[in-house]
Amino acid sequence: MADTILKVENLSKTYKVRKSAPIKAVDCISLEAYRGEILGVLGPNGAGKTTTVKMICGLIKPDSGSILINGKDNFKQRSAAMEHISAVLEGNRNIYWRLTVRENLEFFAGLKGKDPRAIKKEIDYYIDFFGLGTKKNETASKLSRGMQQKLAIAVAMVTGSELVLLDEPTLGLDVKASYDIRDLLKQIAAENGRTVLLTSHDMNVVQDTCQRVIIINSGRIIAQDKVSNLMRLFDVKAFKFVAEGRLSENLKQALTQIPHLALVEEEVDTIITLNLEEPRNFYRVVELLGSEDVSLLSINRQELNFEQVFMEILGRSENGGEKMAAL
Amino acid sequence: MAKKWLLFKQLAIKSWIMFRRYFFNSLGGIITLYVIFLVIFLGYKGIAGLGPTDQYLSIEGILVGYILWYLALAAYQDVAYTIQNEAKQGTLEQLYMSVHGFGWVIGFQQIINAFYSLLIAGILAFFLMLTTGKWLNIDLLSLLPLLTLELICFAGVGFALGGLMLIFKRIDSYMQIVQFVLIFFVAAPPSNWLLRLMPGTLGASLIQKVMNGGEALWQLAWQDLLLTVGVALAYLLLGVAIYRICERKAMKSGTLGHY
Ligand SMILES: Nc1ncnc2c1ncn2[C@@H]1O[C@H](COP(=O)(O)OP(=O)(O)OP(=O)(O)O)[C@@H](O)[C@H]1O
Ligand SMILES: [Mg+2]
Repeated sequence: MADTILKVENLSKTYKVRKSAPIKAVDCISLEAYRGEILGVLGPNGAGKTTTVKMICGLIKPDSGSILINGKDNFKQRSAAMEHISAVLEGNRNIYWRLTVRENLEFFAGLKGKDPRAIKKEIDYYIDFFGLGTKKNETASKLSRGMQQKLAIAVAMVTGSELVLLDEPTLGLDVKASYDIRDLLKQIAAENGRTVLLTSHDMNVVQDTCQRVIIINSGRIIAQDKVSNLMRLFDVKAFKFVAEGRLSENLKQALTQIPHLALVEEEVDTIITLNLEEPRNFYRVVELLGSEDVSLLSINRQELNFEQVFMEILGRSENGGEKMAAL
Repeated sequence: MAKKWLLFKQLAIKSWIMFRRYFFNSLGGIITLYVIFLVIFLGYKGIAGLGPTDQYLSIEGILVGYILWYLALAAYQDVAYTIQNEAKQGTLEQLYMSVHGFGWVIGFQQIINAFYSLLIAGILAFFLMLTTGKWLNIDLLSLLPLLTLELICFAGVGFALGGLMLIFKRIDSYMQIVQFVLIFFVAAPPSNWLLRLMPGTLGASLIQKVMNGGEALWQLAWQDLLLTVGVALAYLLLGVAIYRICERKAMKSGTLGHY
């Protein structure tokens, strides 16, 4: 059923940094985006979101793996691939501050091979759509931060690209501007059938705008599901993280600091089960596991059965009375 | 082809808008150049009586040299600073995502910039000639090909520096040094082979012969012309090659748009 616009396979990227250990930013990521959906890529700082986005944009060369945009390889068939993709990159201005709203839209349309005169209607439409009508002849430098971000997104839209990548589109915006942009994004997908891939480290943004979400941490995909399913995941009182590899004493100690968490080692010393009751600690656990060389095999909702509850209580009690009391 | 023309048109429109909107900026630049020349001119008049002057040290020679220096400066700075500014503005990565390929974007942009540089050089030359009362031989048919070769040559230097900027980012202070090295390149007489192979040096001497010596293009030694063409293309190709290497490196290290 699903029509794939973006297909990423086994993408990896390690940054070689002089005088320090190489940084594995993206580790064998595979994902697909389907036409017409808003796909969220969620992950904490340094998870590898920007690196992934820029590789898809053909701005960073991956070490390995392939990226197909509408079936075109984004390095080997660059021009063809670039026709279908536009991006608003993180923290960047992405637009010319010295050009007006309209001039920006016209210039970037040309850059994507669209004659601004031929798409005048679209340009007017997006000026209105993003509420830039009264500012269309102002230079971008005179717009508020939120308006500038709207213009950047409008520029990405007006080029007619089917796939629009937005890296942290609401970062640094005030609450009102952030909500505005979220609403606009939802409308865009609904009305124009575009595919939007947006990254965020903010669960709320993703929950609010996306249908499907991919969670990445330390360059790896650790969960991938419909947002509705994932929310159910968060609703449930507990999760089970299955991690392979030996946990160091330091890591164990750090994990047990987290309230409502129980750590159970299964099968010799390779598989560890963690039960956790508070959703807001979810990231903390992921982060801690990611901070060391532990490979996370899966994250699952955990329906606690009696035995597990028992084990958990046991685990907590071993961690001291304080946590017992919190139960 | 239609798409390439569209790109060229959009880049030209953008340049024109910027030129118009920041006209007083550009004007300020021209006035500064004019004032600097006046200082040189008055200083020269002060020492002119001291001894015999050859072609390069005559006021006409200095005038031509000054304009060539401006053009050289404009050509390499246009490339290098275009790349730097785009990176600073966060638009370089957008240009890289163009359907036309970045090579076309920067190439066309350079042609457009060269047009403005020649225009400004023309205006500057007019006022300098008016001030000094020395009217040079403005034989456009002979001059434009030679000036274009100079621009091509220094654009090559600009590409090399632009590439280095992608990697090392903060090399502004070195760029300043290059400005002064350029004076040497356009002012040195091409008296030996090494100097003849320096960027722009031989071309500058030919332009001196036209503007200052009143010769026409076809009166110049064909060996010199051929060498000037060869040198210009060689520097352009070398510059572009260096740029591409740096670009590939920046794409590997993920620093293309960083500044
Ligand atoms: N150009 C680079 N050179 C070296 N290391 C880099 C470079 N860019 C990113 N990194 C490192 O790679 C890892 C992933 O970075 P990336 O920017 O992709 O993460 P992110 O998920 O976008 O984070 P954030 O939420 O902070 O934007 C981080 O550890 C980061 O420090
Ligand atoms: Mg990022």
